[in-house]
Amino acid sequence: MKKRKIYHIIWGVLMTLASLIMLTPILMMVMTSFKTMDEIRSATFSFLPEKFSLGNYIMAMSNGNWLIYFRNSICITLAAVLFSLLFNSIAGYAFARLKFKGAGVMFGLLMVGLMMPAQVTMLPTFLIMARFPLAGGNNIWGIGGNGLINTFAGLIIPLVSGSYGVFLCKQFYENFPRSLDEAAEIDGANRWKTYFSIYLPNSKAILATLGLMKSVSVWNDYLWPLVMTNSDSHKTVQLALTMFKIDTSIQWNQLMAASVMVVLPMVILFLCCQKYFVQGIVTSGLK
Amino acid sequence: MNRTKIRKKKKYDNCAYAMIFPAYFVFTVFILIPIGMVLYYSVTNYNLYTSPDFVGLKNYINLFKDEDFFIAVKNTLFYSVFTLFPQLAIGLFVAVILYRKSKLIPVFRTAFYLPNVMSMVCMSMVWLWIYDPTFGLLNSILKVFGASTKQWLQDPNMAMPCVILMGIWKNCGYSMVIYLSGLTSIPDSLYEAASLDGANALKKFTRITWPMLRPTTFFLLVTGIVNSFAVFEQINIMTSGGPLNRTTTIVHQIYRRAFLEFKMGYGSAMSVVLLLFSIVVTALVFKFGSGGQDVDVS
Repeated sequence: MKKRKIYHIIWGVLMTLASLIMLTPILMMVMTSFKTMDEIRSATFSFLPEKFSLGNYIMAMSNGNWLIYFRNSICITLAAVLFSLLFNSIAGYAFARLKFKGAGVMFGLLMVGLMMPAQVTMLPTFLIMARFPLAGGNNIWGIGGNGLINTFAGLIIPLVSGSYGVFLCKQFYENFPRSLDEAAEIDGANRWKTYFSIYLPNSKAILATLGLMKSVSVWNDYLWPLVMTNSDSHKTVQLALTMFKIDTSIQWNQLMAASVMVVLPMVILFLCCQKYFVQGIVTSGLK
Repeated sequence: MNRTKIRKKKKYDNCAYAMIFPAYFVFTVFILIPIGMVLYYSVTNYNLYTSPDFVGLKNYINLFKDEDFFIAVKNTLFYSVFTLFPQLAIGLFVAVILYRKSKLIPVFRTAFYLPNVMSMVCMSMVWLWIYDPTFGLLNSILKVFGASTKQWLQDPNMAMPCVILMGIWKNCGYSMVIYLSGLTSIPDSLYEAASLDGANALKKFTRITWPMLRPTTFFLLVTGIVNSFAVFEQINIMTSGGPLNRTTTIVHQIYRRAFLEFKMGYGSAMSVVLLLFSIVVTALVFKFGSGGQDVDVS
């Protein structure tokens, strides 16, 4: 018994060390965000800053319209997450529970989206957006204007789809007891009612999982906004962050302060939804 | 009674079409149609300003002669192999070690998973600083130990390994979490039976854990391949493909040709190559990953 305890302590120490190594870059980001440039430049390296002042944060946030960038990122993430959750879960329900012609083929086709990087279709998707009829000065043939480039619609709509989401929801709903459907049918509920009053309220775990994954991926997205926007008014926080790099002498402390601000919302969200996240991975059978 | 049941089974739910419509519409317009478009544009000389002309396989022939693209393919494959396997190995190793009863598990799991939640842009910035030759963390540490400093990202031979190291660091937590959830689904009775038969820890791993985790490994491989073939953000931010094109990747080349030089036709041909690569490699994984037995991806 005593031997076991010693093993457990050794295990704890080793895992703590490994975790610290993993967290080093993140801790260094936070520490550097409080340092002055003189401290960063100094020949002697110190882990802790001399004093914790928010000066860098104030300076970083006044470099550009950060209120607008945060508003943009929040709006895009919220809209993409809400729509994709609704669309994907209802489609997942249909694929899991309803019988209809072509279900197998259509689901198989949907899985193509899982097997290729989204970047393959980035170029034509951009062209579709640029040529979107009757938007941004385009005529009905999609010529003449900028289409949906530099618009929120253009930034959000392509992110709403998700083969992964439909796949996970289907898996999740297949584990629901069939007796639920039968009970609903006896009560005279149609399929829509069954979904909205039985399935949807019982899918908190999967919705939290998917919502978290989608929020992280949309919030962290860099390439699509980079391609789709060129105006300051539609910049997302990720694009805004790269502004700091354009300077010839990078202000590392301000850059790190801005980075902390940008990662913070997702870290908080992750820490809050952790329980759901892990639970969702297990229950959806994603193993 | 029996008859009505049979009839009911044959009945189709046509409202299903309405239910899948929103998701399928977006999927069709932004995935299926674009795949068709990318195939079409890849045989044209479209450049965003003039109407596309059919040029046959000229783009593909040019691709074969394009040294930058050749290097990009090589780099992408190199990056994929050397991030994916270490990432899976570390993820599995940590998951196996971590898998035991302890109140500390959520803490360690969070520590390993945290880099994965953070944006690649932010983490690229952090690692850019870590690798910075004059003020960076790595060189500061080297100086403390009196070792000679290195150029890291500016050194043609070091740049790609530096990017790979960061990739492994960022993604191994994901593999770990997925493996951990795979481990929880292995019944304890298997290990108990093995213990009774006198199997040691290594044998338990090779005979029980590894085979039982096969579907997990398979899932991680497929998603990992797709993700690492798309490597772009850290490249664009940390090295812009340099030095001497040593870190340029397929998506980076697509971005440069299509969105900076507006060669949409040529960029489309590159996208088609990327599509083919992903399909061929995932198909291979499907074929050999299942190893003759029925792999339950679900």
